[in-house]
Amino acid sequence: MSIFLTYLITGITSGAIYALMALALVVVFRSSSTINFAQGEFALFCCYIAWWLTTKGWPIAAALVVAMAVGFIMGVLAERFLVRPVRRRNEVATLIVGIGLFTALNGADGWIWGPADKTFPQLLPDGARDYVNIAGARLHYDSIGILLSLIVVVGVLMLLFQKTPLGLQMRAVATNPESSALSGVKVGRVLSASWGISAAIGAFAGVLLIPVLPPNQLDLSSFFNILIMASAAALFGGLDSVKGAVVGGLGLGVAESMLNGYVTFLGGSLQLTIALMLIVIVLVFKPTGVFGARRIERV
Amino acid sequence: MTATSSLEDDSIKPSMETSAPSRWPSRAKRRKDPIIVERGSKAHLGMITIGLIMAVGVITMGAGAGQFQQSQLTQVMIFAIAIVGLNIATGYTGLVSVGHSAFFGLGAYTTGILIVNYGWFPLQTIPVALVVCFIAGLIVGLPSIRIRGLYLAIVTLAFGVAFPEIINRFQSLTGGAFGLTIRMRQLAPPGWTGYGVNEEGKWLYWLSLVVLIVVMVVAHNLVRNRWGLALMATRDHEIAASSCGVNVAVVKTVAFGVSGALAGVGGSLFAMYLGSLVANDSFTLLLAISLLTGLVIGGEGTRFGPILGGLAVVYVPYYTSSWGQGESAAVIFGALLIILVFVAPEGITGAAFRLIHRWVRVVPRTPQPFVRPDQPSHLPLKKGTVA
Repeated sequence: MSIFLTYLITGITSGAIYALMALALVVVFRSSSTINFAQGEFALFCCYIAWWLTTKGWPIAAALVVAMAVGFIMGVLAERFLVRPVRRRNEVATLIVGIGLFTALNGADGWIWGPADKTFPQLLPDGARDYVNIAGARLHYDSIGILLSLIVVVGVLMLLFQKTPLGLQMRAVATNPESSALSGVKVGRVLSASWGISAAIGAFAGVLLIPVLPPNQLDLSSFFNILIMASAAALFGGLDSVKGAVVGGLGLGVAESMLNGYVTFLGGSLQLTIALMLIVIVLVFKPTGVFGARRIERV
Repeated sequence: MTATSSLEDDSIKPSMETSAPSRWPSRAKRRKDPIIVERGSKAHLGMITIGLIMAVGVITMGAGAGQFQQSQLTQVMIFAIAIVGLNIATGYTGLVSVGHSAFFGLGAYTTGILIVNYGWFPLQTIPVALVVCFIAGLIVGLPSIRIRGLYLAIVTLAFGVAFPEIINRFQSLTGGAFGLTIRMRQLAPPGWTGYGVNEEGKWLYWLSLVVLIVVMVVAHNLVRNRWGLALMATRDHEIAASSCGVNVAVVKTVAFGVSGALAGVGGSLFAMYLGSLVANDSFTLLLAISLLTGLVIGGEGTRFGPILGGLAVVYVPYYTSSWGQGESAAVIFGALLIILVFVAPEGITGAAFRLIHRWVRVVPRTPQPFVRPDQPSHLPLKKGTVA
């Protein structure tokens, strides 16, 4: 039983991380109907900023705030100057811009800070004794912290979407950009804001997850796998559903942990293949995702 | 990007291009009219001959080059082969693949395993790599029937990222993270070439060249026949294509299969070139992005773009390796991708052809009415006769 609980806790912790990144993808998709391929690299860049500030003696909490601000600005600038001009052309152009950003940011991180791995400071307590004992399984404080942050982010997003004028405008733009423009919504500004918010969420998630997820260090390929996992989680929820992203992320995390724990012939090394399978199955059998709104395309 | 990328295929829609000057009469007056060259005329044949002579010149220069320069050229050709493959899916059919490193790697590992574990000759493994990667391409392309654009890109991205993991999983066959080493002796040129064991570089240069030419001819014929038209129609407007009788599902899947197969042939040669395969180093996501960058730089949906792309993929990292802690190539590639989307969506080849079209324009030959010698010229042509 305690082993099962341990697997469950591990799964939920990594699942919460995937869910956080998936939420970042969802926020972009909800307003602009594209996937930001560079989402992970935005987060990576912000993590490097946070790491760099901590080496200058900043406390990690302050560095986190700065990283989120940098993320927000990056998101806004990328949307305004790179994505918006090509969006009307076609989907492939947007995709290529995303891949370009991906490569350029990844290279820029290496250029500025060097390709060697970085030890990242802890934001959450993770000492050997920092845990709660639940039926023999250890629930570490950093797991609790990550779950709490997921709940906070979901709560804030829900409030944003449901209770604020900006959220209302975002939903309007997502449903019909032309009509909302005619009703006086500044569509461009809403799009920029959603990209900014998404990148800020990514930065927040990144700073939290780097010390928790193996190999517990900051390196240039940290976010490749997380992006795939987050895409799988977001696709599971149909890319436009906050609920779906959370359920998808947690489910993926738990499934991964259970498979690694109990189905030993997989050898604990095929996480990405599992995510790939999930992506293909969801897309082939239920392209709108399990929680997604059915999209009707006009020919 | 897709609409302009068929600039090179001037014979397909000549009416649109020739009508262009009339839309801006003032500009057309200022500029001299382009020289019109008919396809198949003497001038056209002359242009082709000059091109061929230049190509032969470059090839002989490469053959006489030093060992290092020659191996770089071999690498250029290997990447060009893979990019020709990518071009079929991404350039002509509009299926963006961010995972072609996996096909490239699959071809390389097929060759490597057959040589190391089963003692095959290197040349024999190329067709096997082709078939294996064709089947893998069909399987990966299957989701493209139902999903489009961004979604397919995610699937291919996941495939590309997952590939090293799968290779490492089957360690007994692939050597896993330790890599698979092919011995020099096993890569020796076959006896009929007259090359010794230590002249493997030269042998590989010629082999890559021959394969590149074959692959380019195949790709050329593929995109210029009705099948290629079906590819481009699917890219430009899927629904319109299917209503014209194109079986979109078959076209997309097979295009992806062919694309994967050609990339696999490139990978097969790459295994011979490299001699030791480590999936975590050689066949990562960054390779997939390099291939895609090469394609976009060279020009999507152009026939000569892949060669320029291969040059870029090899020489840009080589000449910039001293800057930015070895990471500058990624920045340059990323920046180039973004700049090209804004400035020249049709890539360098497309932009060059657009420029050349100002001065020289190749048009299809005007159809001559075929008149039998005994047919009185005043009679109207009968239905069914060629006119």
